[in-house]
Amino acid sequence: MSDPVLSVNELTVSFGTRRGRAKVVNNFSYDVGEAETLAIVGESGSGKSVSSLALLQLLPTPPARVEGRALFRGADLISMTKSEIRGVRGNRVAMIFQDPMTSLNPVRTIGFQLMEPLKIHMGMSDTAARARAIELLDTVGIPSPGGRVDDYPHQFSGGMRQRVMIAMGISCSPDLLIADEATTALDVTTQAQILDEIRRLQEEMGLAVIWITHDLGVVAGIADRVVVLYGGSMMEESVIDQIFDERRHPYTRALLESVPVSGGDRPHRLKAIQGLPPDPTRLPPGCPFAPRCRHAVERCSNDAPRLRAPAEGHRVACHLDPADFHD
Amino acid sequence: MTATSSRDDHYAGEPIAEHRSRLRATVDTILLNRLAVTGLIILLLLVIAAAIGPLVAPYGINEISIPDRLQGPSASHWFGTDDLGRDLFSRVIIGSRVSLMVGFIAVGIALLIGVPIGLASGFYGGAVDSWLMRLMDILFALPAILLAIAVLAVLGPGIGNAMIAIGIVYTPIFARITRGSVLTIKESVFVSAARSLGATDIRILRTHILPNVVAPITVQTSLSLAFAILAEAALSFLGLGVQPPDPAWGRMLAEGRGFFEQAPWMAIFPGLAIVITVMAFNFVGDGLRDALDPQQRSVIESRGQG
Amino acid sequence: MTAYVLRRLFQMALALLGVSIIVFSLIHLVPGDPVRVALGTRFDPDVHAALTKRAGLDRPILVQYFSWLGDAVRGDLGVSFRSGQPVADLLFERLPATITLAVAALFVALLVSVPLGILSAVRSGSKLDYGATAASQVAVSVPDFWAGIMYILLFSLSLRWLPPSGYVSFSDDPVEWLKHLTLPALTIGLISGSILFRFIRSAVLEALHQPYTRTARAKGLTERQVIWSHVMPNAWIPIVTVVGLQLGFLLSGVIVVEVIFAWPGLGRLALLSVQDRDFTVLQGAVLLIAFVFLSVNLIVDLLYGYLDPRVRQK
Repeated sequence: MSDPVLSVNELTVSFGTRRGRAKVVNNFSYDVGEAETLAIVGESGSGKSVSSLALLQLLPTPPARVEGRALFRGADLISMTKSEIRGVRGNRVAMIFQDPMTSLNPVRTIGFQLMEPLKIHMGMSDTAARARAIELLDTVGIPSPGGRVDDYPHQFSGGMRQRVMIAMGISCSPDLLIADEATTALDVTTQAQILDEIRRLQEEMGLAVIWITHDLGVVAGIADRVVVLYGGSMMEESVIDQIFDERRHPYTRALLESVPVSGGDRPHRLKAIQGLPPDPTRLPPGCPFAPRCRHAVERCSNDAPRLRAPAEGHRVACHLDPADFHD
Repeated sequence: MTATSSRDDHYAGEPIAEHRSRLRATVDTILLNRLAVTGLIILLLLVIAAAIGPLVAPYGINEISIPDRLQGPSASHWFGTDDLGRDLFSRVIIGSRVSLMVGFIAVGIALLIGVPIGLASGFYGGAVDSWLMRLMDILFALPAILLAIAVLAVLGPGIGNAMIAIGIVYTPIFARITRGSVLTIKESVFVSAARSLGATDIRILRTHILPNVVAPITVQTSLSLAFAILAEAALSFLGLGVQPPDPAWGRMLAEGRGFFEQAPWMAIFPGLAIVITVMAFNFVGDGLRDALDPQQRSVIESRGQG
Repeated sequence: MTAYVLRRLFQMALALLGVSIIVFSLIHLVPGDPVRVALGTRFDPDVHAALTKRAGLDRPILVQYFSWLGDAVRGDLGVSFRSGQPVADLLFERLPATITLAVAALFVALLVSVPLGILSAVRSGSKLDYGATAASQVAVSVPDFWAGIMYILLFSLSLRWLPPSGYVSFSDDPVEWLKHLTLPALTIGLISGSILFRFIRSAVLEALHQPYTRTARAKGLTERQVIWSHVMPNAWIPIVTVVGLQLGFLLSGVIVVEVIFAWPGLGRLALLSVQDRDFTVLQGAVLLIAFVFLSVNLIVDLLYGYLDPRVRQK
């Protein structure tokens, strides 16, 4: 395998709160390769969004504190100066956010917002940037882009706005696109269209993608590899075909049982996971999932399991062997 | 009032069953807020001063002593004396009575008129709503002091009329806030449910709507008390409120104006009393808002027109 | 947009009509004969009869209202019971002084509140933020008339920097004009500014925490570009509304402050007319001030449409 585009190493994010430091992301490590899509999956509060905001230094510090390294094409994003990271943002690494309704500025035209990164990163003139903005709108499938470029976000539908966000993301031909719940707010049809769009762009541009979601159904459709995050810690990492059919980490299994998966090979009853995610200011000393785990043994609540690699392309943080589980 | 809608959204979803625990949480939040506690303590002292004032005041409020006139602050006259040799400390203490009384009664009037108007307007909608709200808009179209002055021009100056005038001035705010709250709650699921079960209008108003408009109104009351005290002071200062020889802070300031150079303390101390009282009500109002109504903009910001 | 402007104009006309009814009622709600009350000890049967007839008080009430309204629309607001001068002349003589003071006060208010509000929000939690917030907390509790008196004590009587009262017109002496304007404008402007400060701070803070601001940062914009291109264009919208509403507060302040600084404006005229029981003058002053206030609010609403594309295109 060639050098990864992004190599995240022991990323830890904590927040100062009134009740002490809250560790939201804990020793998180992963790689993303060229033209690869990595899905980061977890419930809300699992630290999946925070970990990606930390990469681009988009968290307010303080209260946030970010430790560890994130080598992007060999340069550490975490320790970059403000002006260095600004040169990366929207240029080499682009980000698409969850809510297309509020992620676009309501009082600026679509064109204005699309032209900004072109002007600051590529030094384009207004005329050139405008022409490129219209091209980009066309690329992401906005009909009659020349007539829409001066419209305001409220004149676009939710799906169209997310397309605009994507256009903005790919405008400077980045190496890495981070999509944070990018299709969550959209209906299923639009969601499928957007996923197709991303896949197409990925093929054309060799784009690496980090796809952050809580929706395993979406993951099945887009990802090459999946990382499962719980309570800020990585529970499991796996190539996509194995995550659905092999015996997995108890949390991954619980997650799979709690969502309907289209194309799952056998019908199953949906189960809710009992209990609540852990309080980041009072993480248990052992495995963060232990209090809610059906299979937990005494050791799980005292001793945090390390990631081990039982097979090629599979890492898991669990003391138990899936073969021992009896449901 | 842009602030109203965001606040109301917050209330629309809140079940009444949590009322007790919410009360508890409210009290806790207020006690945690240092400024609000400071405000409460100041208000408590003020109420005590107003209640037992004559016992604390070292001199009679109209005890004239020409030889002692225009004396600066000293051990025997903490705040100095005025042009008639009256003890300013005693007059400032007794002055709290007027401020608090006018404040409470004026805001009481605004509450008693404004809340029912808001309830009727929001609950019945239609023509009732548009007529009542147009009327409120007209009152809103006049700067507060000007409206109060106009009312006093008709009724004649005096403390009672000042209360009525200030009450009228602050009525539209209560009507609007109440109406805004009612409008969102009216559409909520629990009201539709009660209605489908055949509950009468009065019953729905009493059991479902009133408890939910209490929070924004409580916050507005505390605020309005601060403004009412400022308004009373202004009117008394202009000679339209409390009449001599009764001590009112605004009145005392006006009297002090004539003796600027010889006796600046005549203007300083009554003014400080107003500032501290108004600040106390603002602190409590801000604290109440944080506790009851976290989405509402700060009290002072919601002041809009003064 | 045209429909929006027309609707707002209609609403303003309606509000003015309402104000006119209240203003007209003023004179009729006063117990007794207003002309007799106004003349007081200077009572003269001939003058009384003439004024009563001039004011039309001998006619049926509805006729009186409509003829008064008709005259008012044409700029005829009757004559003063006291001086016999046309009310409109009295008002327009004093209007420039009031407008000067109001505009100067608004200028002071904006000068203080806009930079401080933006800075406090951008550096929220900093010493500057705490200091400015604490200062505004105190300032909003200060009665304007007391602040005025304290300024006179300090800047006029002790330091002797500025005149304690009076008005000099700009055309007579620009330097003296500014000197006389400074204290009254500061009195109203600082208090009004501290209210605006808190609002601007929270409006900017709110915009700073919106997802679109994060999007702007994620594009690689500098913090300065983020604030001026994305945060402020959104924050201005609520700020403009509050500035409009503040004008009511400002005009209230102007009335009181005019009295303290012997500023020959509408507020002082209105107050004198109350003391003199000169009801036609009071009516005119209230009507004119309400008109100014409503007009400003209309302008603010139209500005709102200009700033917010969502309103503009509705």
